[in-house]
Amino acid sequence: MNFLLLLPEISVAILAGCIIIIDLFVPERFKRSFPYVSITGLSLIVVFYIFSGLPSSPSFLQNVIVVDHFTSFFRILFLLLGIGVLFASGEFVEKHIDKKGEYYALILIAVLATMLMAGARELLTAFLAIELLSFSLYVLVSITRTDQRSNESGMKYIILGVLSSALFLFGISYVYGLLGTTIFDDIAQATINAPVNLGLLFGITLIIVGFGFKVAAVPFHMWAPDVYEGAPLPTTALLAALAKAAVFALFIRVFVTAFGPSISSWQTIILIIAGLTMTLGNLVALTQSNIKRLMAYSSIGQSGYMLMGIAAFSHLTISGLIFHISGYALSTIAAFFTIIVYHNQTGHEEITDYAGLAKRSPFLAISLMASLFSLAGLPFFVGFATKFYFFTAVAAEGFLWLVSLAILNSVISLYYYLQIVRQMYIEPGTETAPLMIGPTPRIVLGFLAIAITVLGIYPRFLVAGAELAARTFF
Amino acid sequence: MLELQHVLILSASLMALGVYGVLARRNAILILMSIELILTAVNLNLLAFAYFVPSNNLTGQIFALFVITIAAAEIGLAMAIILRVFKNRGTSQINELNTLRN
Repeated sequence: MNFLLLLPEISVAILAGCIIIIDLFVPERFKRSFPYVSITGLSLIVVFYIFSGLPSSPSFLQNVIVVDHFTSFFRILFLLLGIGVLFASGEFVEKHIDKKGEYYALILIAVLATMLMAGARELLTAFLAIELLSFSLYVLVSITRTDQRSNESGMKYIILGVLSSALFLFGISYVYGLLGTTIFDDIAQATINAPVNLGLLFGITLIIVGFGFKVAAVPFHMWAPDVYEGAPLPTTALLAALAKAAVFALFIRVFVTAFGPSISSWQTIILIIAGLTMTLGNLVALTQSNIKRLMAYSSIGQSGYMLMGIAAFSHLTISGLIFHISGYALSTIAAFFTIIVYHNQTGHEEITDYAGLAKRSPFLAISLMASLFSLAGLPFFVGFATKFYFFTAVAAEGFLWLVSLAILNSVISLYYYLQIVRQMYIEPGTETAPLMIGPTPRIVLGFLAIAITVLGIYPRFLVAGAELAARTFF
Repeated sequence: MLELQHVLILSASLMALGVYGVLARRNAILILMSIELILTAVNLNLLAFAYFVPSNNLTGQIFALFVITIAAAEIGLAMAIILRVFKNRGTSQINELNTLRN
């Protein structure tokens, strides 16, 4: 057994542990350096991981965890997203959160959990990884302890989160009981010839319900707007980008490797959920006035697009889905980064508060515009490339009606993204004093905006990675 | 004679009760108790499947151990958050918590 394959996970765990312990002993003024310590740690892990040549092994740890191209791709993506969230946290945490050590350690633990989710190959491991992620998110959502909105959203999140885990487990217990195994490959073996009976369908449906809760798919989306709005902003970014990408990574792994052979029994369920999710998410987003709530509904709509990929199920759609997830996560991090920087300066989070931002800070306005256009799927941004590739792949599988619905929804989504852009560029603002943005946010945000544009014009590198990751399954 | 289907019927009714409790109750603590019922049903299922089906291995029993631990941790965390809400707001009725829109 070669534990070096788990080195990235082990290093992140050690880093998180170190931060918790150091937090106990150092005085408050040194805690300012925690984000930089965590960022340096994660960056070193990414760099060493890439230079170690991404080792992979077909079987490992009694098939509990697998390290293949899919795992490697998502490990790198999640580490990078974690670095993005940590960069976005610094100033916000300084101002609003009194438990700094716990905050950074929990973010690192969330990154660790997402990496384990990408590698899980067995239902118990998958469940434990999901719970590790959820536990850190429950605390991160309610970490501003005296803020009533944060408390309230934390309570709503944990109650619905625990309920979804319980239903997920009930589904797992049926799958285990009827097939006698929890390892994905063995589940696939057991269902390859036998027809799916009612009990197994019940189990699979409950597993879909559990995943549906975690990715905020309609009709299990009701927690998302409240939690996104009440949570501290960097946590919202973590939920929207990292957590969603990670749950989809596990969703892909479970439904492609374990339930792939029984696709005819669950395909319709996911198709219907996908259609409902994208339509409702985008339509309700039209009426929102708070930018966090708007981003919540927009991310619900995005979940709907992503679910199409799981239902359509082919090499091309899965690689398109992986590509789309990375593009979406990158654009979301960039959008939230600007929202956080703006909030740090002004304390506002209503859409009308963005009036006149183009005059106050052209840099913030143009980066927010780039990331929103990327989320809407306008050309020259990564969102266009991912949507084009992904929707074409789904259409090639014969789901033209669903793709038409998705394109219609993209048009609807353009309307509410443009509302923000209109506020920034056309509406005159009440305040006109220029905003002072520090060098760190400027550099990181500039980098993210350039990445969104460059990957939109020249996506070949990312597509190649996504195809390599998807080839693991086909 | 106790057989697999008896246990499954018991666990299914426990789960139905739990889901009903989550939907019908408005107090956060009672909702948590209802979720505990679902988790009990899960454990019963896992143990019954591991015991009655000879070809199944020990995974079910190990799984049940993990579920018990996770459930305890979950309830501890949920109680901490509910306590915090109660201190700030003086209530743990979820229908009275409506600071966030809708």
